[in-house]
Order: sequence, then structure tokens, then C-alpha cells
Amino acid sequence: MAIETQGGWRWRTAPSHPHSVFLLCWFLGGVLLAFIAIPLIALAGYSAANLAEVARMADVRAAILLSLEAAFLSATFAALIGVPLAYVLARSSFPGKGAVAALIDLPLAVPHTVAGIGLLMVFGRHGPLGEPLHALVGIKFWGTIAGIVVAMMFVSAPYTVNAARMGFEAVDPRLEKIARTLGLGPWRTFMRISLPLAWRGIMTGITLTYARSISEFGAVVILVYYPMTAPVKIYELFLRIGLDQAAGAAVLLLIVSLSLFVLLRYLAHQRETIRENR
Amino acid sequence: MQSTARFSPLVLGLLCALLPGSFAARAAESTTLTVFAAGTLAVPFKEIDERFHEQYPNVTVQPQFGGSVKMAKQITDLHRDADLLAVADYSVIPKYMFGGNGKQAYAKWYVGICRNAITFVYTDKSKGAGEINSKNWYKVLARKGVEIGRSNPDTDPSGYQTVQMLNLANKYYDDPNIETSVLANAPLANMRDTETSLISALQLGQIDYLAIYRSDALQHHLKFVDLPNKINLSDATESSYYAQGTVQTKNGTLTGKPIVYAITIVEGSKNAAIAEKYVAFLLGPEGQAIMKKNGFGEFKPAYAVNPDAMPQGLKSQVKPWPGS
Amino acid sequence: MTSPETTARAITVEGLSLSIRDFHLSGIDFALSGGEILVILGPNGSGKSLTLETIAGFHRPAAGRVLIGGRDVTQLAPERRNVAFMVQNFGLFPHLTVRQNVAVGLRKRRASPERHAAALPHGDVAGLLDYFDITQLAQRAPHSLSAGEKQRVALARALAAEPDLFLFDEPFSALDAHTRDQLREELASFLRRLSIPAIFVTHDHTDAMVLADRIIVLRGGITVQAGSVQEVFYKPANVFVARFIGVENILAGRIAGSCEALSTVAIGERMLRAAGPQVASGAYVQVGVRAEAVSIHSVGSASAPGVNRFVARVTEVRILGPLATVQIDCGFPLKAYVLAQQARDLELIPGRTVEAEIAPASVRLMFD
Repeated sequence: MAIETQGGWRWRTAPSHPHSVFLLCWFLGGVLLAFIAIPLIALAGYSAANLAEVARMADVRAAILLSLEAAFLSATFAALIGVPLAYVLARSSFPGKGAVAALIDLPLAVPHTVAGIGLLMVFGRHGPLGEPLHALVGIKFWGTIAGIVVAMMFVSAPYTVNAARMGFEAVDPRLEKIARTLGLGPWRTFMRISLPLAWRGIMTGITLTYARSISEFGAVVILVYYPMTAPVKIYELFLRIGLDQAAGAAVLLLIVSLSLFVLLRYLAHQRETIRENR
Repeated sequence: MQSTARFSPLVLGLLCALLPGSFAARAAESTTLTVFAAGTLAVPFKEIDERFHEQYPNVTVQPQFGGSVKMAKQITDLHRDADLLAVADYSVIPKYMFGGNGKQAYAKWYVGICRNAITFVYTDKSKGAGEINSKNWYKVLARKGVEIGRSNPDTDPSGYQTVQMLNLANKYYDDPNIETSVLANAPLANMRDTETSLISALQLGQIDYLAIYRSDALQHHLKFVDLPNKINLSDATESSYYAQGTVQTKNGTLTGKPIVYAITIVEGSKNAAIAEKYVAFLLGPEGQAIMKKNGFGEFKPAYAVNPDAMPQGLKSQVKPWPGS
Repeated sequence: MTSPETTARAITVEGLSLSIRDFHLSGIDFALSGGEILVILGPNGSGKSLTLETIAGFHRPAAGRVLIGGRDVTQLAPERRNVAFMVQNFGLFPHLTVRQNVAVGLRKRRASPERHAAALPHGDVAGLLDYFDITQLAQRAPHSLSAGEKQRVALARALAAEPDLFLFDEPFSALDAHTRDQLREELASFLRRLSIPAIFVTHDHTDAMVLADRIIVLRGGITVQAGSVQEVFYKPANVFVARFIGVENILAGRIAGSCEALSTVAIGERMLRAAGPQVASGAYVQVGVRAEAVSIHSVGSASAPGVNRFVARVTEVRILGPLATVQIDCGFPLKAYVLAQQARDLELIPGRTVEAEIAPASVRLMFD
């Protein structure tokens, strides 16, 4: 946003917009930023003394690691099956397309506990997927990381699909046509043209899915209590010990997550600037 | 045309802002009584609240349910306003609410309101459902492939009470393997922070048996095993026998006690007078009848700890808790 | 034009028709040999882009065939047809450098090495960049290039894939007039050098005038007129085509009489002679006269009475550089183009009386 000029830095604003419009935007935006930041800062301040203690607890560290791992798997699977769906939604029209799009948004509106119970019905001991999967491949979803991933995916996959769809919609379909005439088949066109150009949107979706997966509690806890993910651990700390430790663990989770997201955005941005500067 | 079009969203917005205000004004005339209670009290308390409202029409009772410890902590740690706290294990109140060691006291007394018993619920689909009874239950539960659910002993009364019960069973049946063999079928994967969240798992067949209170069994119309009174923690006269049952938790070693639900009025409640009436109703014949109807055991006489600290009007209904 | 080389590059389209939603494209027919440029001219919504995309392989026609380089490609996927597709703003891949753009379609092996040897540069990226004089742009990002540079990169990229046919979908529509002229010239010379057939789609008749060997005028999915540039421009089939290709004077008239090579048409009170086949007397007709076909003379300057020579009064004169546009009234309004010098010599000012003459061959009769 800030660009370097001869005299130093200046803000890149559209010269045609009057200053007052931007001031208003910043003011209102500031309200939102404060709304987000102040409770988090209050939490951090409250638990500052306990951070070291909580960081030393092996079970807290294990829970945070488990959350990060499971969320990573959730985001990966969501991308593998969600990005192709997003491409289809962006490029083709078919009867029932509106229904499909609405279906994808549905998990966001379902109460988390209800989602968890639905997943238990399907992936549980006697479930239409759970039973055969256990018999054939030996996978269980009750009390395992697989169950955590499934619960996380259900509530967070819509973010990947929606953001990736917007990413693909922003790619001029004529570019894909040109690639085809240059001799690239549909698959190579997708991999070399559509996907790279939609990458920003896709990455946004994946990041959102990852973040949402980390924070999920209600759906996860129906399927899996042990091993404990970070939100479950935080809750257990609250019940067992008290608010101080729970808040401390929460802040620790936030610090780890924040660092991870900053790193991800930095890496994605690096990749882009290299491309542009070539 | 254009200027009116610009006005209307403004007018609408103002109306929306004023409306809740008018509701709030109306609500202020009646009193709201906030009751935090254990999850297993949800069903009977709904009925009690309705009857109470009929007797005191200008009082609206707003209950919130959850694990006993969680609800206590909402008051002590999160400083949420509640007028009354009702727990599934009476010892939760002195442990978390009485203060001491520099902590603030949120309650000074408590009175027992009803009893309960630990049991195992199951469905037709459960393994061994056809043959389980009061005599062979521990053998059926110990069979290979049986899945048993229970709540976390570190955080929830029914969790540690279940383990205490199994520990007592070792002595009662003179078989030192009962506790371990049954718990082997109740691994961490089958544990939740409160037992009520496992009911859907039972109904879906994910688990075969769930350790829970008898009141829940009756309220949810689930089949249950009648465990012997000497181990199911339901008999207030067997407290010395129960004390032999122990469980190791992250909070230390806990010894068995009869399951007695207790209630207290939170210190500093702004509606203390109404709260007193609520407790009186609960201890009175109508309240007790509702509790009994919902599968809870009677706790008569109503014992109280620190009765001198209680409101004057309630003192006559209670007796001092023996041994306190 | 009969060498195997050029026949191999011919393109034939037979009876192409297609329906998409409510739009119907019917009976597109033409044949091009290597080096010929077909311009498909028509207003927006006439089906020009649809035709192009069908030839490229993005729509399946309901009927008809497309033959490129002797092969029937009607059922083939776009990537197997060897066509180059050029669009508005040139469609360079924004995430790739110029070099990477050009290299996208590079063939690993050549089908027949002789085919392109004559007109094409070396078939590798460096050679192509050099041919189009864009080597210095190799590492640049597409968005930083000028329109002319983009066109050259797009052409280099297209050539790298060794196309048998070039398709242009209104590539100049978004450009200003000056850039447009410049790029059009570059494109024309490039295409002529290469002797690869090309189909150019546009709504601008100037593009047709500069580039076309043959023209198809499309309207609502139907071919209204097809033929050489001469035919279409000087013998428009009907008023629609005439207006579209920029005939400046279109007047309503009635046939007063007709014999085998000449017809007399009454426009208002004037009689005009038009060359052309015999027409039924009394028929209503539209008359098209190009502005440059109207010559202006001073009164009484003719040595002998001329055909289609009238007295007229000048109503407006506009000098535009070396040309002048003159509006005259000779019972009906006429627009004429004269040289600016002529306008000055004849002292053309509004109100002046002059004589206008139109050769019968330039009077085009059109029926709708």
C-alpha cells in the first residue's frame, strides 16, 4: 500500500477520492479493528503472567500442535476437493447450480453441535461411511485425528470453495481459450493458466479454512474429546483449574496461529513480487 | 421523491433503535431471576420455573444449564451475575464458592434438594442389552467389544462418581478386577466433559452403555440398570460405606459421597428475597413432587450446611447437615 | 497459388450452423488459401465472434464442416486444430514474462519442417523474439508493454505454436484511432509475408478496407453478402451492407424506366441513370452513391451535356486536411468528397451554385 518515492514513503491513495472519504473509511475501519483487537489485548494482558507456566505444560503444547496438524490436513483435503469444485462453479452453468452453491454455504449456518451429530451419524461405528471404512481400511473417526479433521473440514471447507471460485471467476476465460489454441489441453491449461492466476483467491480460501479449522470446538467435541485439540484443552483447563490458565493457553494458541499466518502471507507475497519483478 | 427516499432508511434505523428500548422498559417492571444449574436438572427445573411463575407472576426465571463445575466457575471466574446456583454434587459449592485462601466467597451456605443414583443407560442396539441385569452388569460391561461412555472425572461430578462406584463394586462383589475391566471398555475416546453430550452417541450406537444419573435415564426414556444401593451413591445413610470408594483425579484423590444435589443463593444477589422464595418452593411439597416425578430421589429431611447463614425464612425448612 | 504448400494451408468452411440459447448462426460458407485474409464484418451481436470461436473449436456446430490444411477438424478439440486466436487487448498471460508467454505453445517437434521454412523465423523462442524485434522485452511483464509491443508478443506466441490459421477477434476495438492505424499496418504486412490464411472479425469497415481480400457481412447470424473487397464495397447488396461499409448517400427512389444496361431512377424530381441489369419499371428502390463518386464542377464548365449532371447548391463545406466534405442540394441532399485544393479553386462556400456529376456505374441500386 505504501510506495517508495524520491522523498521517502507516501500512501498510495486514488487522487480522485477526496480526503474526507478516506478519513471516514479509516474511522469506521478503526472501530472494527478496535472491536477485534481490544478483547484480544485484554485477554493477553490478563494472562500475561501465566503464559510461561502454560507454555511449560506438555499437554497444552501437545493440544496446540494437534490443532495445527489437524487443521493443516483439513485445509489440504478441503483444497484438493474444493478447488476443482470451485472451478466447475466458476466456469460452467448447469441446472441446479444455485442449489449446489447454497449447499456449500450451508455448513456455515448449521449449529456446530448439530453438525457434529450429523457427522457422527455418518462416520460413527454404525454409520454408512464409518462402518465400511473401519471394516475395509481400519479408519475410525471416533476419538481419532481423522474425526477431528472431518469435523474441521465440514465447518470450514465452504471458505475454500467460495474464495477459490471468486479467484477463478476473476480469470478471463479468453486466456484459457487462447491457451487451448496454443496447443495446451484442458488439464495443462488449468494447471499453467487458470490455477496460477486464481492462486491469490485460492490461498485466501485455504488460509480462512485453516484458521476456522483451528478454532472449531462444537463439532469436533461431539466426535473427539481425546486426543484434545487446543479449544477442547482450553475448555478443560477452565473447568479444572481456572480462567487464568485457560486464558493463558488461549493466548498461547493465538500467538502461535498469528505467527503462522503472518509467515504464510509473507511467503505468498514473496512469491508474487518475484513474479512481478521478473 | 429522492429526498424522501433518503429519509426512510434513517427513519427505519431510528425506529429499530428505539424499539428494544421500549421492551426493556416494560421488562424492568418484572423481576428476572437468574438460576445457574447442573445440566441434569434441566427438565425438572423447567417445570418448577413454570409453577413458580404461576405463583409469582411478576417474576421471570431465566435458567442456564451446564456442568456443575462449569456453572460454578462462571460465577467465580467469569463474574457472571446469577442469583442461584444448583449443583449435582453438593461438594462443588463449598469447594468453589465458599472462598478462603484469599479467594472471594460467593456463597456461605447450601441446602440439599434431592438425591440421585449412578446407573448405566443403554438401548436395544447395545451389546448385551437382552441379558444385562442388576446382578451380571459388571460382567456384561467388561465383555470385549463393548463400548462404554462416561464423563471426565477431572471436571465433572458424574465422571468421578462413576469411578467411585466401580471402586466400591470391587468391595461389594469381592472382585478386585471389576473397576479395571469395566474402565477398559471406557477409554479416553469415549469420554466427554459432561455425560449428557454422550446421549446422542448412545442413541446412534457409537457407544453401548453410558454412565449417567438415573434421573436422566427416566427423563430420556432410556433403559437403565438398577445398581445396588450400596454402590450407586443414592442412599444418604450409606455415606460411610461410600467413603471407601476412591478415584484419582487431577484435583487429588476424591472419596465417595452420596449424590446429593444442592442449591445456594449467590452472595450479593440483587434478588435475594425472590431467590429465597425460589428455594422455599423447591424444598416445599410441590417442588419436591416435581423432582420425584422426574426420577430424582427425595432428600428428607433437607439438610443444610451453615444454616445460620441462611435467610431467616428458610431456616425452618432445614436441619443442620449431620457431621458438618 | 497452386503449390502443395499453399493448398496445405487452405481453410474451407462449409455450411456451418449453430444455435446457442436464442441465437442462430446459419450457413457460413467460405474458402481461403494461404495468405488470404477474410474479414467478417458485422454489428455487435451478429454472430461474428461465435463464428470465430466455432472455427477455433470452442463450440460444436449443429451442421457443417471446418477443414484446415486439408484436415477435417470439425470434431477435434481446439488444441488439435493448429489455430491461433488473437483477442482484444491481446490476451497475454499476465503471470508470465514475455519470453514465457512466447514459449507456452512452442512445439517440441515439427510436423513437416519444410512447411514453414520459407516465411517463418527459427522455430525457437530466441529466433521468434528476434524476428519480431522484441528480444529486449524478454523479461518484461505483459502489463508494462505498449499496445504495439503486446501485439508483437502475441503474434510471436501464436507463431511459436505453428498455426495453420490465424483468427482475430476485434483486436483493435479498445484502441485509439492512431494506434489502431499503426497496428493494422503492421499486422497487414506481417500476415502478407507469412502466407498463412487469416480470419479477421470486426465492426469497423476501415479494418476491412485495409486488411481484407474477401469479406463476409453478417447480420443476425446470416450472411448478408460475401465476396471480394471490390464487390462488397462497390456493389453492396442492400441498404444494411451499404450503411455498414460506409456508403454516405442512400436515397429512396422509384424506377422510371429500364433497358438492358441502364436504368432510370426518379429521386424526387430528378432522374438518375444507373448502370446494371434490367429492373422492373415502377419498382421502389434504394440508391447508394459513394461520396467520392460525386464530382463537383463550376456551372457551365461541361463541354457536352453529361449523364447524371445536375445543378446543385452548396449547403455546407468542411475542410479536413487534404480533403473537403461538401454537402450539396440538388433536389435531394448529397455528400461529396473533393480535394481541398479543388474546394478552394471552385470557391465552394454555402449558397454557391455548382454542377454535380455522378457516373452511372457509381449509382448502385439496392432492393430490400
